[in-house]
Amino acid sequence: MKTLRLLRRRRALLNCAPFNHDQLADRSMRSAVSRADSSDEFVNQQNFDRAVAALVRLVPIPAESAEWFSEQDLVVGSKWTWKKMVRNPAVLAISIAVVVIAGVSVFQLLGRLNDFPGSATARKLLAVAASTRPVMLDPVSAEAGTLSDLFFMKHGLEHYDVPDEFADFRTIGCRVFDDEESRRIAQIWLAEKRMQLFLFPAERNMKTGAVLHFPGWRYVHQEGWVGAVTEHSGVCFMAAVRGREKDLEQYIATPKE
Amino acid sequence: MLGDSRKAQEVFHTTLREAALRAAEGELPKEPFWLFHDARWRCLEATKTDLQPESFEIDEHEIDPGAASQIEQLDPAQLAIWISAAPDPQRTALALFYLDEFDYTEILEIAELKLTTLSRCLAKGRRQLQAWLDAKHPEQPKL
Repeated sequence: MKTLRLLRRRRALLNCAPFNHDQLADRSMRSAVSRADSSDEFVNQQNFDRAVAALVRLVPIPAESAEWFSEQDLVVGSKWTWKKMVRNPAVLAISIAVVVIAGVSVFQLLGRLNDFPGSATARKLLAVAASTRPVMLDPVSAEAGTLSDLFFMKHGLEHYDVPDEFADFRTIGCRVFDDEESRRIAQIWLAEKRMQLFLFPAERNMKTGAVLHFPGWRYVHQEGWVGAVTEHSGVCFMAAVRGREKDLEQYIATPKE
Repeated sequence: MLGDSRKAQEVFHTTLREAALRAAEGELPKEPFWLFHDARWRCLEATKTDLQPESFEIDEHEIDPGAASQIEQLDPAQLAIWISAAPDPQRTALALFYLDEFDYTEILEIAELKLTTLSRCLAKGRRQLQAWLDAKHPEQPKL
């Protein structure tokens, strides 16, 4: 019974089969047509239908009605203008999002451009400088350049030398402490503009252990403080002061890189 | 559907005018083929008062392999009149099918037919058209 019903349905579908194969959108119709595609009866039917349809296309349409089927658009859609597009909430939201993302990216990129080996430590030490009080340091009144011997003799810190640019300034106090990564940090307080000097180990390559050198002076900024950093013999030196780069520029002999 | 260009034009314009009014009032139906459905009913209404074809058995012939050349000899207006003279729903089925604008599922929806009815209408229509062609333009015997 089921087979007979299926055969009847297939026959019914074939009678309604489109003579234009582009219209074979229906799955059951495609299946019925593919089974009957080569039969003489079906080929005759298709040729017959095509011929009738071709003749139907030639049936004259009154001119007044034919106007409605012209190629031109009957209704011209409103044109998109820049103004309209900008006012579209979706476009507006996407534009704002893109601007914010671009701004953050540029900010991060600029931040990275100023990075150098040891810049992260230098920023942390600027925060230390901001929170240090003179009483926290051992009182020492000497020329900053002479403290290298003290650091070496008392704390065993090699190459913790104050560069010539800052060697002649009088000190108020100094101390040596370990940071959270157990690196030995030397801190000197100067009488000059309440400036603070830091000496700390330069960053090293994680695999080879080689010192990551960088030439000249580099600047870092943190919470209103500015630091000028240089590296020599595996030790970084930073002069820190509350203010701007120009407050330090006058002390640095070599041009900024 | 009507075999009369003047009536067809009237129905066409009435249908469009009605559609425009409904659109202006925001009452356009959501069914995709409502316009064609509407036009079909107007066509049937327009021919209600016309002379109706007498119900008698029309000859039916199996489709001839050379039917295409017989059809080519026909005048398009003659074919339109022949289709419009068919009783409904055969008339609707033939008109929509040979317009080549709709697939069979769309025709079923517009004409509110079942597949078996559409199939019967089309098959019968082909055989009757073949019989008419044979009577009008008998195929030349092949030498």
